[in-house]
Amino acid sequence: MATADTHRTIEAVWKIEAPRLIAGLARMLRDVGQAEDLAQEALVVALERWPVDGVPDNPGAWLMTTAKRRAIDLIRHHKMRDDKQAALEYELETEAMTHAPDHADALDDDIGDDLLRLIFTACHPVLGRDMQVALTLRMLGGLTTPEIARAFLVPEATVAQRIVRAKRTLAAKHVPFEVPRGGELAPRLASVLEVVYLIFNEGYTATAGADWARPVLCEEAMRLGRVLAGLAPREPEVHGLLALMEIQASRLHARTAADGTPILLLDQDRSRWDRLLIRLGLAGLERAGKLGGADGNYALQAAIAACHARALHAGDTDWAKIASLYARLAEMAPSPVVELNRAVAVAMAEGPQAGLELVDALRSERALANYHLLPSVRGDLLFKLGRRDEARVEFERAAALTDNAREAELLRRRAAVCSDQ
Amino acid sequence: MAYMLFVAEPRGQRAERTEEEGRALYARMQRYADDLKARGVLRAYSSLKSDADGQRLQIRAGKRSLRDGPFAEAREMIGGFFLVDCGTREEAVELAALCPAAEWATMEVRETGPCYLG
Repeated sequence: MATADTHRTIEAVWKIEAPRLIAGLARMLRDVGQAEDLAQEALVVALERWPVDGVPDNPGAWLMTTAKRRAIDLIRHHKMRDDKQAALEYELETEAMTHAPDHADALDDDIGDDLLRLIFTACHPVLGRDMQVALTLRMLGGLTTPEIARAFLVPEATVAQRIVRAKRTLAAKHVPFEVPRGGELAPRLASVLEVVYLIFNEGYTATAGADWARPVLCEEAMRLGRVLAGLAPREPEVHGLLALMEIQASRLHARTAADGTPILLLDQDRSRWDRLLIRLGLAGLERAGKLGGADGNYALQAAIAACHARALHAGDTDWAKIASLYARLAEMAPSPVVELNRAVAVAMAEGPQAGLELVDALRSERALANYHLLPSVRGDLLFKLGRRDEARVEFERAAALTDNAREAELLRRRAAVCSDQ
Repeated sequence: MAYMLFVAEPRGQRAERTEEEGRALYARMQRYADDLKARGVLRAYSSLKSDADGQRLQIRAGKRSLRDGPFAEAREMIGGFFLVDCGTREEAVELAALCPAAEWATMEVRETGPCYLG
């Protein structure tokens, strides 16, 4: 195998195996930062050896054995002969004796629990949101620092620093490697779901830059969602969030024209929507409902996305139902952004004038003062009411407020249309 | 990106196993599917019954022909599939390499996408 090919294989193996590797090491060492360092060292060894010796038959097990050996070296070096080392040596010995050729047979029953502990640790509230996101992508997504930097359009040094600070904070605060219990579970789980959804959204609607979407982040978020759904199957909001991401992602390929211009929901070619993702999403939504979570924040958003997914043509959309779901969402978690979306649904169900009245009530909201979608929606409704001069002003204001180059271009084009005739 | 991992079995291989042996392999495949699920990459999967029970349909010039299996002209039979989500073709190949069936059959890795692009 050529060296370049081997490197691509190593990269692929790393993406697949890194979370288990780090989670397994963290359980033994009780130190996530150290576990991540050792996993990285094992990766470096693989990068040296595999191009020469060839890719091992069971690359995941090879990486784990290498990392454990280095862990023992490290502990010996620090003369910290203790329980940790005994546990590691025992694992290495028994592994050698019972080495199973079948990967699935070798699956540790604890692996699921380890991954869950790792997710909760990476999203621990002692860490700032930026650190949680960076650490989650790095440890659970197997993304490299440059990849994370590219995805979030920040310098590599910034990401590297966030990761270093995150690991240091976890160690300094003695954050235990465990799944929270009792009353602590709900808020901690909410924090995990927020991180996952933030990763998805960053990929789905890139907030800045020339690319409208960065699908790799969407895929990573959905993968994390499915891992969570498998590990915490009784939590309705986990299924709600996964359903929301799957239904939204079903439109990824229909959201941009060949030249990269965004296509709005109602103008999309719905035959290009991914039906399988929609089916998975609808099934997940149903599961959330059966678990008593129909009124959860993510389940309600998923239900709204499902209204669009069920309509084969834009004209078939049940806007009255969408408006009532937004009303429910506003009750559960009041927010001017939800209110703005409700206004759009009401406008579709009852006409632009009814929508405009709701939008106008939001114009004094300080939280929306720099939110480009407010003038964008208002412009759209004014345009439909034939008030083109006012609409043009709103589209221009919206274009000036958005950081997304493609979206700004779309808004400027709409402003130009208002001046036609 | 979604990739389809097909299990292409040599024709007649299933008949060479006892039911007990078949069940043991099936259990290993089920564990593999559980493993893919735990990794969060599995979208859909199933094993398939033998093509002896399958049928092949064609419509040519408006005329419909239906032929019962087995289809002796083929050397291999699609025995099952796993639809997975992952970042690159290399990752899909590594996921296929974890499949026990790679030992007795051939794993075929195919990216989903429009067929007119070749």
